[in-house]
Amino acid sequence: MTPVSITCTDLTLRFPVYGVDAKSLKKALARVTVGGVLGRHAGVTDVTALQGVNLSLKAGDRLGLIGHNGSGKTTLLRALSGAYEPDEGTIEVYGRIAALLDLGLGIDASATGYENIRLRGRIAGLSSREIEEKMDEIAAFTGLGPFLAMPVKTYSAGMQARLAFAAATAVEADVLLMDEWIAVGDAEFQKLAHKRLLKLVERAGILVLASHEAPLLRLYCNKVMRLDGGVASEVVDIRRLDELLDV
Amino acid sequence: METATHLLRTGQRGALFQLQMALRDLSNSVQRIGLSWSLAWHDVGARYRGSILGPFWITLSMGLMVLGIGFLYANLFHIAIDVFLPYVALGIVFFGVMTGTINDGCETFVQAAGMLSQTSLPLFTFVWRTVFRNLINLAHHLLIVVVVLAVFGYWRHIHPLLALVGIVLMLLNASWLSMLAGIVSARFRDIPQIVMSIMQFAMFMTPVFWLPDRFGSHSAVLNFNPFYHLLQAVRAPLLGQAVDLHSYVVLVAMAGLGWLGTFALFARTRRRIVHYL
Repeated sequence: MTPVSITCTDLTLRFPVYGVDAKSLKKALARVTVGGVLGRHAGVTDVTALQGVNLSLKAGDRLGLIGHNGSGKTTLLRALSGAYEPDEGTIEVYGRIAALLDLGLGIDASATGYENIRLRGRIAGLSSREIEEKMDEIAAFTGLGPFLAMPVKTYSAGMQARLAFAAATAVEADVLLMDEWIAVGDAEFQKLAHKRLLKLVERAGILVLASHEAPLLRLYCNKVMRLDGGVASEVVDIRRLDELLDV
Repeated sequence: METATHLLRTGQRGALFQLQMALRDLSNSVQRIGLSWSLAWHDVGARYRGSILGPFWITLSMGLMVLGIGFLYANLFHIAIDVFLPYVALGIVFFGVMTGTINDGCETFVQAAGMLSQTSLPLFTFVWRTVFRNLINLAHHLLIVVVVLAVFGYWRHIHPLLALVGIVLMLLNASWLSMLAGIVSARFRDIPQIVMSIMQFAMFMTPVFWLPDRFGSHSAVLNFNPFYHLLQAVRAPLLGQAVDLHSYVVLVAMAGLGWLGTFALFARTRRRIVHYL
């Protein structure tokens, strides 16, 4: 088995932004009728989200991503999760990937807690049997007890967050991608959640965490990289975080 | 769970590479076909949660339509009820499945936007989800078919093998139409309305509620209507009638060319679909 690793080489990602108008067929038809030359790209603007990013991570690396809003942190995480494919360059990821980017992924408010755990597990790649094996542990962790048999729409926001968190973190992964450290629920649950995340991070070979909070990054990461308008800095040791923040 | 996911991705390596990636998407979705089933079952469960009859509500309303139209038109056109009612019943059920698969297809990728933007799930997984959801609905509606065929005694004359061939051909064609609708609808938001109008128009132009013999079986209204052949391939064997050979030729050609074209479009747009959403 190939050891867990992430390698990006000259990764460039452009977003075609289809304006509201461009989504309408009328505009597209009009373009064809005027000869297709005039403003062939009218309505479609390319935004370069990542440009020439080089990155190489191996087991044991805990990378913190910093950068202003819109600097490309989330885009990079999504690209690593396999959702976005590069326009230039390559991404190679070896290992089971778990992306905790949006806790609400696959949560269906009209389904019960149990059904949502199953659905989330299936999306994450677990078999039905594996889910049933983990069900007790997940159910216990949510602390929702009999409410798990009720539709999620009857839950309070905090309860929903508990469910989503428990289901999303039940996976075993080699590569963990996180957009902000997830802090959910009341103080008591936050402590539990914190422990669970730490365990997940310890088991995972690689963590990539995008965050604005320096103390958090110092706590969990051993490396850090800064993104500015889609251009990445070098990957440096976490002890040099202040230098990167000052740039 | 896979022990190791290996991803290797680049954007601009030419058409052949895109084709290869599209094929990989397809094969990944087949390997995880259970996920499509789970999602489809979840959809059906979600839509009818809290209702007593569940998907049978649609079966019930279809059954009422079959009875209503069956008796009314049989009288209006002076056709024997034991000929006309089974004919209409099969028409409504199977045309309904085609319409459902194609109309739902428009939502395939739009609905999956959340999942597509943060996982590497194959896009085909969601195409199968739509197809399977409609298959599950069909399984419920088969109740009408069974009852009608039993009551009017057609079950003795069924050509089961041909009926199966017909269903497979229908699914093969409905699924590429569904996927095509999905891709185009993701890019252009006007498409679902257009698709719906076309399907409604097709329902009236296709002999679902009327017998084709008024035209003579080789009329252009019938022969240039793909839905006529699709419906005929399933309905005729179940009623113990023969299917014209040229219907099969049309259907096989349509499935082949349709999938080829749709797959080529998919290979071209695959990595862009997530950005459309």
